[in-house]
Formats: sequence, structure tokens, C-alpha cells
Amino acid sequence: MKGLTVFIADLRKCRSHEDEEKRVNKELANIRTKFKEPSINGYNRKKYVCKLLYMSLLGYEVNFGHREAVELVDSTKYSEKQVGYLAVSLLMEDESEYLRAVVRALRRDMHDGSEWIVCLALNAISNIGSREMAEVLTSDIVVQLLSPAASMFIKKKAALCLLRLVRRFPEAVKAHQWVGRITPYLGHRDIGVTQSVASLMTALAQQYPEETRKAASFAVRRLKSLVIDNEYTLDYVYYKVPAPWLQIKLLRLLQYYPAPESSEARSTLLSILRHIIDVSQDVPRELQQMNAQYSILFEAINLGIHLDIDQGLMQECAVLLGRFITSRETNVRYLGLETMSHLAAYIDRLDSIKAYQGVIVQSLRDRDISVRRRALDLLYSMCDVENAKAIVSELLRHMAMADVALREEMALKVAILTEKFATEYGWYVDVMMRLVSLAGDHMGDEVWHRIVQVILGNEELQVYACKISLQTLKAPVCHESAFKVSAYVLGEFGHLIANAADSAPIDQLKALQSKMSSTSHSARAVALTTVGKFINLFPEIKTLCLRVLDRYRGALDAELQQRACEYYALGTLEGDELLPTVFEEMPPFPERQSALMSRLLKREANTEDQRTWVVGGREINRERRGVMSGAASNDSREAVEASAMPVPAASQTGGPAGGSTAAPKADAPAASSASELPTDPSVAKSMRNYARLLWENDGILFDGEEIQVGVMAQYKPPGGRIGVFLGNRATAPLYNISITARAADGTQLDIQPAAGQETEQIPESLMPLAQARVFFDVQCKHVFGAAPTLHIGYTVAGSAPTVSELQLPVTVGHFMDPVTISVADFFARWKQLGDSGIAESQHVLPSAFLTKDAAGLEWLRSVVGGMGFALIQGADPEPNNIVGVGIATTQAGRFGCLVRVEPKPAHGLTRVTLRATNAEVARSIGSNIKMVFESK
Amino acid sequence: MIRFIFVQNRQGKTRLEKWYGSYGDQEKQKLKAEVHRTVASRDQKHQSNFVEFHNNRIVYRRYAGLFFCFCIDTNDNELAYLEAIHLFVEVLDAYHGNVCELDLVFNFYLVYAVLDEMILAGEIQETSRSVILSRLEHLNNLE
Repeated sequence: MKGLTVFIADLRKCRSHEDEEKRVNKELANIRTKFKEPSINGYNRKKYVCKLLYMSLLGYEVNFGHREAVELVDSTKYSEKQVGYLAVSLLMEDESEYLRAVVRALRRDMHDGSEWIVCLALNAISNIGSREMAEVLTSDIVVQLLSPAASMFIKKKAALCLLRLVRRFPEAVKAHQWVGRITPYLGHRDIGVTQSVASLMTALAQQYPEETRKAASFAVRRLKSLVIDNEYTLDYVYYKVPAPWLQIKLLRLLQYYPAPESSEARSTLLSILRHIIDVSQDVPRELQQMNAQYSILFEAINLGIHLDIDQGLMQECAVLLGRFITSRETNVRYLGLETMSHLAAYIDRLDSIKAYQGVIVQSLRDRDISVRRRALDLLYSMCDVENAKAIVSELLRHMAMADVALREEMALKVAILTEKFATEYGWYVDVMMRLVSLAGDHMGDEVWHRIVQVILGNEELQVYACKISLQTLKAPVCHESAFKVSAYVLGEFGHLIANAADSAPIDQLKALQSKMSSTSHSARAVALTTVGKFINLFPEIKTLCLRVLDRYRGALDAELQQRACEYYALGTLEGDELLPTVFEEMPPFPERQSALMSRLLKREANTEDQRTWVVGGREINRERRGVMSGAASNDSREAVEASAMPVPAASQTGGPAGGSTAAPKADAPAASSASELPTDPSVAKSMRNYARLLWENDGILFDGEEIQVGVMAQYKPPGGRIGVFLGNRATAPLYNISITARAADGTQLDIQPAAGQETEQIPESLMPLAQARVFFDVQCKHVFGAAPTLHIGYTVAGSAPTVSELQLPVTVGHFMDPVTISVADFFARWKQLGDSGIAESQHVLPSAFLTKDAAGLEWLRSVVGGMGFALIQGADPEPNNIVGVGIATTQAGRFGCLVRVEPKPAHGLTRVTLRATNAEVARSIGSNIKMVFESK
Repeated sequence: MIRFIFVQNRQGKTRLEKWYGSYGDQEKQKLKAEVHRTVASRDQKHQSNFVEFHNNRIVYRRYAGLFFCFCIDTNDNELAYLEAIHLFVEVLDAYHGNVCELDLVFNFYLVYAVLDEMILAGEIQETSRSVILSRLEHLNNLE
């Protein structure tokens, strides 16, 4: 495209920014006119769109050309289509009105006869990846991935396309429906295909650990063929190393599964790891080869640590890592320290790491800040009661010299370690006071808040803390945070040392006053509260205290003035009841996770694939592992965050006066949601399954050790057909199988085996891993309250027959169709139904899982939409609120139902209101939504 | 997962930017400037190819006057991405015949096509140099 080249060259010739801008504006005007010409041909359109792209990449605003981009997408020429899709991905926002046309084009191109057109479409989907694409195109993409006719290029791209959609819209892609069929592709002979599928499986393994269980054995087999059997083509050898990226992906994938149970699989895995370690013994000269080899080696060590099945191997890894952390290669030192932190997160005895403590401390002075960070992480992870004092004092020593960028993290880590491993009270107070003095400017308020909490909670600390506080205030220089801690502590416990030398009330007040004038407003606010508390503690210096308060009654700062006025009034009040009550000693803070931890964890939270370990030693990692293996993995991160809410207490406003009421409020929603959840994990799980099927038509209903029951439903209100799938998960066949369903009240709901299907179709026996299925026809005769029950009977050879009774997710809500009405109509109906007042159901539900980010609200929208409501856009002034309309159809009549969902992420609560023309409809759907919330 | 890929020259001009996450326009401008400041100021000889960047990591390598930077997650394998950069450079080199900064400027739209054959959705798609190059040649010959 000559015109493009000339244009770029022109811009490069511009001497100043003004010249460039002039040239750009001229070109924009030119392109606008050209686009208006009806006769513009494809080549020119492509050229001008390219020019627009170039300008946009230079940072100029380009807000037209979208239509032309779509026209290029519709072209039959490859190069035009390519530029069209590129422009769409670079220029269009997610909400663009043209995206709909793009989705149409993608749908067409996905089925094009030319392989490269399909590839272009797949590229575009993975580059744009909008919600609509996830909803409309996922099944087409799955088909392409699985189709035997599709080329390797299509398969690779399809797998990564799915990955993008799975990560962005996990609800929309319904991965449980196809995940099982993808797993075997890990064994695909083409390394590129396996590479892409392995990335996809890694994401799915975290969401569907059960459904993807087989992935682990596929990965082991594939690794063995690469590493031990040398089965690969030369194309994939990178500087003498066979397919390093695939090896790494597979080694990583295995870290999302527990160690294999069979001894055979274990020994295969071990021999793979051993082979990798042995190969790395000779260090190659060439940089690329060395990097490739080391990248595999470090991942293998990570997997070895994760599996934790061979002590000899672990020791060997520790020795290797010890060598790496003294390497001359900075990259290797860096990775050595990082991997050693991982080792410290799981190893039982830290001795093998402690042997290198000196070297690691040295690394705090490495030339590279990246290495220094890893050294800090490692010291933090390897700390225990034995070496805590040494490590903490080293860190404090480095604090003064450390980079500003590192100081906050260092301070947080010192604070956590000191609290965790303190065996003497004096040590804790000394270290913390030194810490706030050294690093005060570089750390958040959490640290000093935490010190106050700890002192308040430990009586033994208080006298010593007072002594040190007074000393701190008397020192020539006193850091602001240290001042706050000291003032707070003396205000609470100053009386404990009032009889010691030089610690009389008057000394305390003078020390406080001497520093007060040179501190910030927030520190002075804390000090004023202390003065107020002194009035109560030491009546003998009341006049002096009042004088201090009096001076601040005219303060310009509103907070200071208010405090001074209120405390002064309290101090001069007649009667002696109010003062002691208001200024009573603060109660100890309730035990809760330290805000320091949550602050630290937040730094690590931002990874697409979940971390398999976190910096910070054994305890925290063991805990994490427990959580992860128990529940669906996504919950664990939320749980950590939820339990680690910031300290809401007095410290936020800086004084005890404002805080005490805030604490219980912040705690309440979390506590109540926890108490309502069933405690038995299997009950919780089947409730979750059931709740999911209240808004999705297909899914697993029951997942047991012997059987798995799945449901697929299709409704044509008032009728519907329910498919029930029974899978044998036992190791032996099942006999005498029966699958029946019964409605709670036959006059309201009719449920029969589907026409044309006889009971003989259930096989006599069901082999392991085989599946039987039965269909039921349902007819909703009238509004009904209770769901039908499903009875599944079977015997496993040699044992008594088992009958499982399950609730079948069929409720009146399932017979609802979405209805779109205008906003005005909605409000008219809403009001009309509200006035009648009889058919309303309202719940206020704890919803701590709905954070402010878009994902939670997206989920909520798909729940409401999945229940058969048409979502009415723009009806509610509050954009996060959801309103919807549906009509439930029964043979006895049709009943309209309106819903309004108001999430309040700040309070962790959501209000759900339903109004319907039938009270039972509103009640039933309301309790469905409640159940979905409770089992989320 | 790769969050974004930049190719920047020593003056901080971005010659290639590829985003795999969603970022606002202003944020993008800010990140480009920040990455340049972070990476260009580092000692190429004595420091590693990895540097902390917000809650992610930058893996980078300098080729002549160009910095190739991948922003990745903190739990990703750094060396694997460092070598992915090298592979990318090798492919560009073979595709353009001894690539230079100006090739990237004048053929910016083709560079995206090259990238789409190697990396998709922030993950590595194909790692065989010969497979990538013969595919690119094939696509080049299409109308």
C-alpha cells in the first residue's frame, strides 16, 4: 500500500508535534470525504482504514471508520478482511453498535470453506472476545476444535479462543458441557495443538477439577513421550531442547492436581522429573539453550515441591537451588530465590534452606532490585521462631538503605513476622516502635493500627508499652506514626506507670504537648483524644488538660475543633457520670485476620491462573491448600478477601470516639451469611448443584461416589421434557436400576416417562463409566409449590440395594418465558401490582460475593435472565439494579411476574423483590433466587 | 497469561503494542510511559531480565535499540517468556529479512498478523519457527 507508506513517511518527516498534528488533521479530513464517496473500492478502503489505525496508534483520537471496518470484514479478499478484523479489534469498544454486525460476520466466517478465513475469524474472536461472542459463538468454536476435518491451525486457535471466553465469561460459555470432550486433545500428536489445549485445560482445571480429572494422566503420558521417549519432530526443537514451552505448560498443569494415587503413575512422574534434573547438570554455553533448559528445570522443581512425594528429590532440589542463588547469572539468582520461597512454603524442615541464610541476607544488597525483592520474599517465607530475631533485625538494618519502592513491603513483612513469632513482649514493642520510626513515611496506617490492636489485646504488654511510649515522646525526634501509637497507648494505659519516676501524669501530658505542635492534623486528633482521656484518668491535671483543649476549640480544622469542643464540654460538665463512661478504656479488639496480611495478599491477587502457592511460609500455604481442595477454587480467594476486611475500628478516624460503632456493622453480613450455609460439605454441594439448575437448564444434579446424575431440560410452557442421566462412577457395574419421578401433588404437576419410551430402555446393568438416560414429560397444570422428587435405585454387586432420593429442579419458575415491555409499562405494572400488595415476595440476602467489579453483576444478570426474565434495560435509575419481566404459563392460566434486584456491594447485601399476579408464583421464584444466593 | 506486549525504542516510542486484557485509552498511554521508564533505566549488564510492575511482572530483552517487553503474571514462568521474546524476534527477523525498527513502523499491520500466529489470547499458540514461517508465507500469498 504505497499511499500508507507515503503517509507514514510524511509523518516521520514532521519536525514538531504541531506539524504532525496538522498533517494528521488534514488526512482525517481527506479520509472523511473519501469515505463519503459511493464509488470507493476495497483497496482504497483498506488503505484509509490502515491510515486511521496508524494515527490511532500514535495516540490521536479516531472516532470514525467503524462502518468501513465492518465493510472490510465483509469483503471476500483475504487481505481486506484481515485489515477489517484488525481495525475492529483496535478501534471498537465493547459497547460499539457495530459489534453486532461483526458477530454476524464472524458467525458466517466460522463456517467458511477456506481454512484461512476461519482462522481469521478465530483470531478476531480471541482478540475481541465480547460477551455476545461468548454467548453466540462458543458452540461453533467447540465444533471447530473437535472436528476431525479442521486443520491444526484452526484447532490451536479454537482452543485459545475458548480460553479467552472461559476466562472472561465463565457463565456464558457453559464449559461443563464440553470440557470432557476436550481433555483427550492433550494427547494430540501435533505439538502446537497440545500447547494450546494445555493452556485451555489449565484454566478449566481450576474451574472444573472433577470434570477434568483425566487431564493429569494425559499430561503425564505426553510429558513422558517428550522427555523420556524422545518422541517429537525436529521442528519443535528449540536450541537443542525439545518443545520447552509445552514441557513447561504440562508441568504447570500438573500442579493443579494432587499427586497421582497409583504407584505406577507416581514413578513415571518421578522418573520424568529426575530426567529433567539430570539433563540440567551440564550447563550449556549458549544463552538460549541455557534459558530453555533452566525454564523447564525450575518448573520441574516447582512440580516436585507440589507433589511432595520423594524426600530424596526434595533434598536434591534444595541443594540445586542453593547453588543457583549464588550463580553469576542474575536471572538464575532471581529464579533460584523465587523457587526457594516456593520450597519454603511446603517443606517440613526448613534446615536445608536455613543453611543459606547468610547468602540470602546478602542478596538483600544485590545490584538488581528484582533480586532484592525475591530475597525479601524468601526471608519472609523461611522465618520461624528459631531465626525470627535474626531475620527481623537484618530486615530492620536494611530498612534505612532499602529502595523506597521496597520499604512498604518490607515494613509490612517485618510487622507480620514480629507479631507471629514474638516470644517476649518487650521484643515485640521494641521492634514495632523502631519499625514505625524507621519506615513510617512509607507504610500505610495498617501497621500502627495493628500495633494498637495488639497492645490493647495483651495485658502483659501494656506496662512496657507505656514506658516505651513515654520514652518515644520524650526523644528529640519522634516519627508521626510513633507519636500516634504512643499517644493512643498513654491515653488508654498511662495510669499504669503514673507512679514510676518521671512518669507522673504531668510528665506524660508535657511530653505529649511537646510533640503535638509539630505533627499533622490526624496525629493531633489522636492526641486530643488522649488529653480527653487524661481528664478521666488523672483528675489532678484536669485544669491543664482543659487548657490544652481550650486552645484547640478555635482550631481551623473541623475535626480538631469538634473534638476539642466536645471533650472540653465533657470535662466541664456538672456531675461525674458521663465523663468516665465516654472515656472508658477501649475493649480489646475482636480476633480477626490482620489487615496487614490482606494488604500483602492483595499484591499477589492479580493472576489469571490461580497461584499454586503464595509467598509466606508453610502455615498460610497449608491453609490455602486445604481450602482449595475442599471447594471450587474461585471461592478461596474471595474467602480470604472477605475475612480480611480492613480494620474498621477507632483507628480510621484516629480516635476512640468515632470508631466503636463501626466495627459490628462491618462484621454483620459476613457472619450471618456464614451461619446460614449448611455445614456438611456434601449437602452444600448438592444444594449448589440444585440451585444452579434453577437458572440453567443443563448440569449435574448429584455427584456421588458411585453415581453421578445429570439433568437436561427443555421447556415449552406449560410443558417440558426433562432428561435424566445416570452415570456409573463406581468401579463395578450397577444392577437393578430404576429411575422414577413423582410430583408432590399430581393435580398440579404431571410428570410421566416420555411418550414412546418404555422402562425396558434402562439397561439391565450399567458398566463403570457408562451412562443411562431417561426422559420425562412434564405438564404444569396449575401453580405448584414443591418440586417433584426423583428416585434412583440400584445395587452394586454384593451389597444391599441403594435408593437415592433427589429433588428434581422443576418449579413453577421453570415454566416462565421472558416478555419484553417498555420501561413505562414496567413501572405502571410494578406500581399496580405493588398497590394490590398480596402477591409480593421480598428478600434481603447476604451477598458478600458480589463485589463492585463487573463480574459479579454479570453473574447476577445471567441468573435473572436464566430464570426466564427478560431484562429491561435502563428502567432503573441505579445502573447496577436489575429489573425483569416474565410470564409463567400453566394449563390453568398465565401469570405475569416482575422482578427487581438491587445489589448493594458496599453492604454485602442484595434486595430481591418479586411482584406477580399470583402469590404462589412470587413466593416460589423468590425462594429460588434466595437459594441461588445462599449456595453461591 | 501475557497482559500486554510492547516493543519500544530507547526514546520511549512504542513501535508495537498488543493488549490481551481490557485497558482504557488513558491507562494505555500511562502504562506505555511507565514501562519505558521502568525498563530503560535498568542496567542491562548486571541486572536480570525481570522486573516487578504493579502487581505483574515485565520480562524484557533488548535487541539493538529496541526493548521487547512482555507483561506477565507473577506466577508465570519468566524464562519461558524470555525465550518466547527471542523466538518472536527470530521470526520477525526471518520474515522481514534482518528486521529493523523501520520495518515495524511501516508494516505495523503485518506485525499484528505475525503475532497472531504465535500468541493468541495472551498464551503461546505455536512455538515452531518453521511452522510459523511457512504459514506466514502461505498467508502472504493469498489475495
